[in-house]
Amino acid sequence: MFKHLLKLIWNKKKQNFLLISEILFSFMVIFAVFTFGIYCWDNYKQPMGMEYENVLAVNFTNPVKTTNADSLRLFYETVKRNLKSLPEVDEVSYASVNIPFSESTINNSMDINGKNIRQINEFSGEDSYPGVVNLKMAEGRWYNKQDGLPGTRNMVINRALKEKAFGDVPVVGKFLGDPAKPSERFKIIGVIENIKFNGDYQSPALAIYKRMDTAGYKWVSNMLIKVRPSADAAFESRLYKTLANSLNNANVEIEHLANKRISINKMTLVPMIILSIVAGFLIINVALGLFGVLWYNINKRRGEIGLRRALGATGNGVSSQIVWEAMILATFSMIIGSFFAVQFPLLNVFDLPAMVYIIALLASVLFIYALVLVCSLYPGRQAAAIYPAVALHEE
Amino acid sequence: MIRLQNIEKVYRTSTIETLALNSINLEVAKGEFLSIMGPSGCGKSTLLNIIGLLDAPTRGDISIGEQKTGHLGDRELAAFRNKKLGFIFQSYHLINDLQVVDNVELPLLYRSMSAKERKQLATEALEKVGLSNRINHFPTQLSGGQRQRVAIARAIVGRPEIILADEPTGNLDSAMGNEIMEILMDLNRNEGTTIVMVTHDENMAHKTHRLVRLFDGSQVS
Amino acid sequence: MLRNYFKIAIAVLKRRKFFTFISLFGISFTLTILMVATAYIDKLVNDPYPDAKRDRSLYVNKLEQKMKDGRQSGPLSFYFLDHYAGSLKIPAKVAISSMSRATNTYVNNKKIVINYKYVNSDYWDVLEYDFVEGKPFSKQQIANGEHVTVISEDTKKEYFGETGSVVGKYIEADNVKYRINGVVKNVPVTAYQFFADIYLPYTVSKTDYKDKAYHGEYIAILLAKNEADVPAMRKEYEQMISKVPLPNKDITKMYSHANSYLVSYVNVGSEDTSGIAYVITAIGLFALLVMLLPTLNLVNINITRIMERSSEIGVRKAFGASSRTLVYQFIVENLILTLIGGLIGVLLTFIVIRVLNNAQLIDNLYLTINFTVLLYALAICVFFGLFSGVYPAWRMSKLNVVTALRQNN
Repeated sequence: MFKHLLKLIWNKKKQNFLLISEILFSFMVIFAVFTFGIYCWDNYKQPMGMEYENVLAVNFTNPVKTTNADSLRLFYETVKRNLKSLPEVDEVSYASVNIPFSESTINNSMDINGKNIRQINEFSGEDSYPGVVNLKMAEGRWYNKQDGLPGTRNMVINRALKEKAFGDVPVVGKFLGDPAKPSERFKIIGVIENIKFNGDYQSPALAIYKRMDTAGYKWVSNMLIKVRPSADAAFESRLYKTLANSLNNANVEIEHLANKRISINKMTLVPMIILSIVAGFLIINVALGLFGVLWYNINKRRGEIGLRRALGATGNGVSSQIVWEAMILATFSMIIGSFFAVQFPLLNVFDLPAMVYIIALLASVLFIYALVLVCSLYPGRQAAAIYPAVALHEE
Repeated sequence: MIRLQNIEKVYRTSTIETLALNSINLEVAKGEFLSIMGPSGCGKSTLLNIIGLLDAPTRGDISIGEQKTGHLGDRELAAFRNKKLGFIFQSYHLINDLQVVDNVELPLLYRSMSAKERKQLATEALEKVGLSNRINHFPTQLSGGQRQRVAIARAIVGRPEIILADEPTGNLDSAMGNEIMEILMDLNRNEGTTIVMVTHDENMAHKTHRLVRLFDGSQVS
Repeated sequence: MLRNYFKIAIAVLKRRKFFTFISLFGISFTLTILMVATAYIDKLVNDPYPDAKRDRSLYVNKLEQKMKDGRQSGPLSFYFLDHYAGSLKIPAKVAISSMSRATNTYVNNKKIVINYKYVNSDYWDVLEYDFVEGKPFSKQQIANGEHVTVISEDTKKEYFGETGSVVGKYIEADNVKYRINGVVKNVPVTAYQFFADIYLPYTVSKTDYKDKAYHGEYIAILLAKNEADVPAMRKEYEQMISKVPLPNKDITKMYSHANSYLVSYVNVGSEDTSGIAYVITAIGLFALLVMLLPTLNLVNINITRIMERSSEIGVRKAFGASSRTLVYQFIVENLILTLIGGLIGVLLTFIVIRVLNNAQLIDNLYLTINFTVLLYALAICVFFGLFSGVYPAWRMSKLNVVTALRQNN
């Protein structure tokens, strides 16, 4: 019977061509939406790697004109001490401009373990940084005062970079950078757990964490402050005054990391929602069209269906034939569609894990089958209801 | 072979009630070639549908072979039609998107049978109607007479005991019509197939064993 | 004849209500998406507030410095724009303003985020802000370095609450008190070159506006006396840039352009890769995808419809209609269908835009359907109608009279 249906569909390929291409495009759209969705969900399930509640992010225009390293450091130490004298402030760390959820990035490439690795995010923070955002060490330690001694060339990396460069082995004591260029070579002293600094729906990117140095202080424009849960708006206003007075000549803005997280999540969620709404309507559109065409085809094939009934097909037989035909059509479309879809993991187009594509592919296949099933059930029932005695005498 | 007792068929719409068949009693013996004649709208097609179990009578009983059919459900009726009955129609009712051999195989699809066996039987049936050289053509590539021969092959491929033909020569010229009639008569003679044929054509009707005339839903001779 | 077509089209639409529904649903929904997108883009790039003199303006918002192994790209310094762009002959005015930055202020322990922008006096002449009260600060006030400001209506509401005139009152931002000189109507944040909550004289900027570095935080608008001068002004700017001395020997080349609003608005990409082409491709692809499926659907349904009417077509042909007239008939019918769908789409768009405006997803961004958007909608409809009608019509014209007449179901 299956072969018979295949033959029937094959011989009608001209009429079925449009239907197949329509299902094909729907499949591709669904595949795209599912890939995006599954990727986001997959990332969402990963731990954040840090605490953002009760952390304030301050950005200020650079207030210092001096280039003298000691006076720079002294200036920023004073600001920090002023802040820490406030009872609600737990910990303070200056940071490079790419603070978590900030949408700004500093990227670099590096030779590690014989591989040239691109797109490494470069963060800078102080010794107090882990205390502010509560980041966790996977291995080794974070920086301390000794790392500031001249000639010390230490580096902290994140788990993602470690796994990409070295695999799942202990790496403390190993080196980063091209061995031929000693000025770019660093010793790994610690590995931190991944931080999703681009929001909940982004995958943890490769990262190195530097200890803030003189050059860092020269351009610094951000700090992170961990405050007590009791800190309220009145405190924030006091904090603002303290900052404005200490950083004279600077414009100052205070933000909550928790709010920054919400707004950066929107950067993923809003396109996702728009995409889903558009895709949803497209699919409704296609479903109605599919339903309409199948339904109409039943009317056109009344003679054939009546004949099949006369020759011994049961009502259920006829209705399942209609459903099967639609399913085979969908299968044709999806074989073609899958050919295109597997190019994404094979060619590594968007640098997503292959698993995401595979799950998205399977989910799309199931979705399209379900859609086609729903659209063909009623026409199938209609076909079963055709009265052979009437259908055979209509011409 | 076929026994109709007090068959009555009424069509109802919201405003009118039409009596299509009025107390028909008819018995067809095994191996008989019966023709039914009558003007348009006299109920002959309705009668053939009822014999073919495509339509149920409003009142009355039908037995085919030893089987009373009144209580059979959709599934049993389908199986019964498939095994015992073969159909031929005025407008052939071939599936244009299937090749000749696939069209002929159609009744066998609703039995459990291997593809090879099906093909074998279909080829044999086509040989019997003299179309073994047209196996892989599409119906649209054939003449009317050839198409009707394909339809006959399809009707006989399952070796039914009864063939029901609804004006099989109605769309054909007399030469082709005669050809078709020959095939049917051969079938009746050589295989002992019982045939009930509805026709408009007196000449054709007179070639059969017995002629039944209907008028306004009643049997007149 | 057209009247006749119209009658038949309506009759056909009424006959198969389900198919009509599917067709209209597809057309109107697609149109709604495209129209809302068009309205949005139109708002972004064609909004005349506060930038009304766009035809005779050119925009400078980027300087790219090329080094041996990299490049640095971003807004310019006040010094650069004032000194070099300010010395050009053709521009009648040069409006210079900083990119807006955020700071906080606290009123009754409530935090208000304030985006501030430093501007020169030409800024108020080039851009036509609607002053709800007061007026812009003057050239003299700027020169004196007075702490005066122009604020937006939103800021007034947030800082002072519902109250009368606030001109002459003080607003505190960044720990400094500014006297309010005027209040202007809000600008949506999407018009990022003009958006701010408070506008301040550049002379009160905390960073040194006299700094001679080329990169900075400022952008400029060059205003020509009339539209005809614009190409010459563009050229003059290019020539000027080629003469600006390179700041140091690491820099091998410097680029900066005075662009039209659209190009400056998109402001992505670099010298080597055109940003505008990228954006247009992306928008085009999206539109294509959104339209492709409904079009396929429509073609499918149209073919189904035609086959359904094969006996009608057979009769028409038998009574002397040529294939060509039938194709015209069908395309006209289809156009009527798409135009009805378009009408529904416009209604839907009104509703969606109403909802979006009420939701205020982006502060102060009010979408409208204007003539341009409607024109686009009409174009899309006609495209739809033709595209989805031509293939089925061609199939129809090939229909054989005899078979068409015979199979009437």
